[in-house]
Amino acid sequence: MLLPDDVDVSDESLPLFTFPDSSTRFALVDNDISVAEFRPLDDIDRIIRLDVSSGDKTGDVVTIDGDEEDVFAIEVDGTTIEAYRSRLTSGGRFVSLDDPADERVELVNLVEPVQQFGPRLENFEEVLIDKNLGRSLTNTVLVTIVVVSGQIVTSILGGYAFARIKFKGRGPLFLLYLGSVMVPFVVLIIPLFQLMLQVGWLDNLSALIIPFMFSAYGTFLMRQFFISIPVEIEEAALLDNASRWKILWRIMVPLARPAIATLATFGFLYAWNSFFWPLVIINSGNPDGRVLSLALSTLGGRSSTDLNLVFAGAMIAMTPPILVFLFAQRYFVENSASSGLK
Amino acid sequence: MAEVTFRSVSKQYDGDGPKAVDSLDLDIKDGEFMVLVGPSGCGKSTALRMIAGLEEVTDGELLIGDRLVNDVPPGDRDIAMVFQNYALYPHMTVRENISFALEVAKVKKAEIKARTEEAAEMLGLMDYLDRLPKALSGGQRQRVAMGRAIVRSPQVFLMDEPLSNLDAKLRVQMRSEIIQIQRRLDTTMVYVTHDQIEAMTMGHRVAVMRLGVLQQVADPQELYQRPANLFVAAFIGSPAMNLINVTLGGTAERPTASFAGHTLAIDPRAVERYPQVADRIGSSVVLGLRPEHFSIEGDFDLPADQTVEFEIDLAEAMGAEAHLHITLDVPVVELDGAPVIAEDGDDVSTSTTSVIARIDGIHFVRSGEVVKLGVKTHLAHFFDLDTGLPLN
Repeated sequence: MLLPDDVDVSDESLPLFTFPDSSTRFALVDNDISVAEFRPLDDIDRIIRLDVSSGDKTGDVVTIDGDEEDVFAIEVDGTTIEAYRSRLTSGGRFVSLDDPADERVELVNLVEPVQQFGPRLENFEEVLIDKNLGRSLTNTVLVTIVVVSGQIVTSILGGYAFARIKFKGRGPLFLLYLGSVMVPFVVLIIPLFQLMLQVGWLDNLSALIIPFMFSAYGTFLMRQFFISIPVEIEEAALLDNASRWKILWRIMVPLARPAIATLATFGFLYAWNSFFWPLVIINSGNPDGRVLSLALSTLGGRSSTDLNLVFAGAMIAMTPPILVFLFAQRYFVENSASSGLK
Repeated sequence: MAEVTFRSVSKQYDGDGPKAVDSLDLDIKDGEFMVLVGPSGCGKSTALRMIAGLEEVTDGELLIGDRLVNDVPPGDRDIAMVFQNYALYPHMTVRENISFALEVAKVKKAEIKARTEEAAEMLGLMDYLDRLPKALSGGQRQRVAMGRAIVRSPQVFLMDEPLSNLDAKLRVQMRSEIIQIQRRLDTTMVYVTHDQIEAMTMGHRVAVMRLGVLQQVADPQELYQRPANLFVAAFIGSPAMNLINVTLGGTAERPTASFAGHTLAIDPRAVERYPQVADRIGSSVVLGLRPEHFSIEGDFDLPADQTVEFEIDLAEAMGAEAHLHITLDVPVVELDGAPVIAEDGDDVSTSTTSVIARIDGIHFVRSGEVVKLGVKTHLAHFFDLDTGLPLN
């Protein structure tokens, strides 16, 4: 179905179709009804599709290709003819827009949808509710928020310690930490999967959150930024008798806003778009544990015809990253750390 | 308010590296304005940072008041410091910057407001309280840094070259403001600078340091008139004291100093101040003459043997005075193997000595002219060539 136009018939938006023998448009008022296919006895190649409740058995029996079939009396265009029922299937009931009495039963894929391009907000509703994308969206939002906040907090703490607190083995530890950035994630998938299995987090959102709350890259980013903040500012705060904790949150963190915005944006994009790890770990087919990227890939599978819904889902998935980027970009350029100095 | 006492305090960054501060003994009195001065790398900032607690004391004892503070964290020392680059909190307004320390100390809100505004009033910052540092000029930032120190009413003020980022005019103005504030608050102040003019004009006493070692502590006049060694003599004064390698001759009653073909009689009053000169007849010493010890013909009433004819390389007319540059064909005076007048990185000729004479600005002297200059040798200084100590 390619975006059928919408018309209000009995307060519902219905897709429109055309029949080859008529120039008027028909609304699909009833989808998925039981349809009976009748073949007239005097012309058994012709197929007449009617609601399954129409036609009355005459009591006679005919033999077609060696099978005995009941004979029905059906009404076609005002005349009653005899026919047998060749099969039962499902189809749709269509009503003409010009003449409400003109009602037809037909297989949906045999009629031509009225193709018309234009916005159709119902797609969002359908994809969120009918396709359960709402739940996936909630999962993704939850995972992203917790992962990003966690990364920011741990990176600030780690970055500050590596930048300004002298402790034994700081240099080697930092190198080790930084070295972990160079291990590609693909290599970690199997060990991490085993770990999650042991902890019992398979199919659990915890597996998407906890391992990703700590970021070596983020720690490195924050450390570099903290190092660039003039040490005198911190010394001034020390002389003002502020504790390390206070200096960190009252002085250093407000100054590190650009770095935090950068970290948050990257963390957000990574968490929001992450696909492969959720695909591996949320694997039972329980759709309630899915994140948006997973749900979207299911929606747009090989045999998908609901392109309108795929696009609606893609829109939903795209919008937040774009908004976040637009919002955060002003922090990228802003660097106020040195403005308190000469 | 409190005194600050260094008892053979040393600072060594690496276990076997050079000492940034070497056995410093210094008593800073209560309410005193003490200036630490010296060329870069002399240890003056390190000494200041040790008072602040920002550098650990490697050896010796450091006292603020009667309290040994070697291991007291900076915040507990009750001192305030103004940094060279001001180190204002960039994300806080002037008011927040000034009141931060009080806030940390959990002072009551009303009192914070009153004290902040009192400090701002004193520094003329009332109109800027809600601005961020980046919206302030250099002088205003400097004042905020001062305000941050003043508001705490600390026992000791520490200032680390606070004026070096200001332009010349503002520097002069802030100099007098700092002096006034210090007088008004009567708080002990330790002020670090590399600018000997600041040192001379601001300090009650001045401590001159070189390579981590204290050279002399004295009031500015004493420092100028009775330098404790060659280094202090060369460092204090602008233009600097002329130091010339000379050979002493003549008699013990009326010695002479010969250099580059000139001979200069030495006034007996100088010999009274530097009695060892009489014992050094025939040997080489360092003669120190300040630029103002020269005067041009017509301005002096000096015996003929205290005059010398010089060829003037360059005459700089400054208005009220003129500086005459003279090059003498004598090796430059050295201290520890380097020209004593050289700052780090200066490229100084070592085979000749530059002399600057300061004369009254009404005289017109052209570059290249040969003029007769009188030398007030009764004010001259004499130092040992090797030890750099005065011959007194």
